[in-house]
Amino acid sequence: MTAPALEAIFREEWPRAVAILARVLGDLALAEDAVQDAFAKALERWPRDGTPRSPGAWIVTTARNRAIDRIRRERTFARKAELLARLEVISTDEDADVSTIPDDRLALVFTCCHPALAVDARIALTLREVGGLATNGIARAFLVAEPTMAQRLVRAKRRLRETGIPFRIPPDEVLPERVADVLRVLYLVFNEGYAATTGDELVRRDLCAEAIRLAKLLCVLLPDEPEALGLLALLLLQDSRRDARIAPDGELVLLADQDRSLWDRDEIGEGLHVLRRAESFRRPGPYQLQAAIAAGHAEGTDLATIAAVYDALVAVDPSPVARLNRAVAIALAGDAETGLALVDELEGLDGYPYRHAARADLLRRLGRAEEAAESYRTALALTDNAPERRFLERRLAELGRSGEHREQPSG
Amino acid sequence: MRYALLVYGDQSAWAGLEGAEATRRRAESMPRWLTLFEEMAKADPGVAGRELVAASEAKVVRVVDGERVVTDGPFAETKEQLGGLFVTTLPDLDEAIRIAALVPTAETGSLEIRPVVER
Repeated sequence: MTAPALEAIFREEWPRAVAILARVLGDLALAEDAVQDAFAKALERWPRDGTPRSPGAWIVTTARNRAIDRIRRERTFARKAELLARLEVISTDEDADVSTIPDDRLALVFTCCHPALAVDARIALTLREVGGLATNGIARAFLVAEPTMAQRLVRAKRRLRETGIPFRIPPDEVLPERVADVLRVLYLVFNEGYAATTGDELVRRDLCAEAIRLAKLLCVLLPDEPEALGLLALLLLQDSRRDARIAPDGELVLLADQDRSLWDRDEIGEGLHVLRRAESFRRPGPYQLQAAIAAGHAEGTDLATIAAVYDALVAVDPSPVARLNRAVAIALAGDAETGLALVDELEGLDGYPYRHAARADLLRRLGRAEEAAESYRTALALTDNAPERRFLERRLAELGRSGEHREQPSG
Repeated sequence: MRYALLVYGDQSAWAGLEGAEATRRRAESMPRWLTLFEEMAKADPGVAGRELVAASEAKVVRVVDGERVVTDGPFAETKEQLGGLFVTTLPDLDEAIRIAALVPTAETGSLEIRPVVER
């Protein structure tokens, strides 16, 4: 068996095995250690003896046995007998059909994204436990040292245990908000790979691919949740523009200036297909609407129609950032005066560089160069992202050259 | 898992009320307290809970260089004071959050959930 094929099995079977052990043991750290042992054993055995008939069942059974060994070796006796008894429920049949084992992966997802954990801990845990990513890979993706990331994971697992964060699917009355928490974590994982432009491009690309893979898994686990489909559609549609949004010289390219031949047509097609499925539920939500906007750009929909979708988005998500995006959409659709007025009435975004950059752009379009320059400077003072800084500096320099030249708004 | 649910609130708001008004408010919130006690007993028959006398009546004891120092009033001058506490065994944090949200004063003050260290 080739290494990539082995890796594919590992990534598929990891969350399933961790989830089963974690449910039975009620301890994620112990579950992860046992599964890690089982994978190490697989890596040693499979290339020599051949891949077992049911790799998933082999992993679960081996992890169960490894957990028994680990618990026996533990010095504290208090929980020993109880934990060993719990492990009895797991089948010892290595050839069992893995689909007969109850699927606990959804419970695992909810546990990793529990709101009692810090956001960065949720992200790290989700990538480790659900995504099956190695600690050093997660550390590289988030530009932190491996021991730092290992610490973060250890603390998160300790917190799960010490505060009694449950390992189960939340009850109906809190399910919608908990689903929203999960979707947010996956969106943040994607954004980490998409928005930031520092670090290894390949690592960041992998992170986006991982977010998409996890969103697909979530759609399988939550088949009746249109927002999960909406998120997946949004990620696919954004990812389809990845190659067009950074120029070969590393500069940021705005949507309107992107070379559309660089957009990934297959990914757009997949995104549109998923969005249609989400919309067939007739239960719109923020991710579906953002996906609809991304779809509008992909299909070349006129900007007035796109601005109208922003109206619907602000109705379900009246956050200042959503309202800022709506204001920009209205301006791009031809009404820069109204867009500017809407940007100016936003509160609580003074420290948000995109607000000042957007305001600067609208002022530039309206020919108010001096005020535009001031807003570009404010935006510059608020961002450290190198390509974004270069973009803003370029715009600022252009203002100086064009003087009071009045540029017509596009669209 | 054992949790302490610490009930924080602005006790000076109570202290400022006329006797009749305080009685009326207490009577008003009583059905909700009874619902809470019922839910808590259902979740854990062994639940323990106590209301504390106003923080303004508190004594603070410290030992400084071997000397006992006793001062009046709460240690920290914050608006929200500890007004009572429950200790209860619940299956998990989600259940503790559900119960805590049933405490009537959670609307005006706050509930702090602290898992109890078990050794």
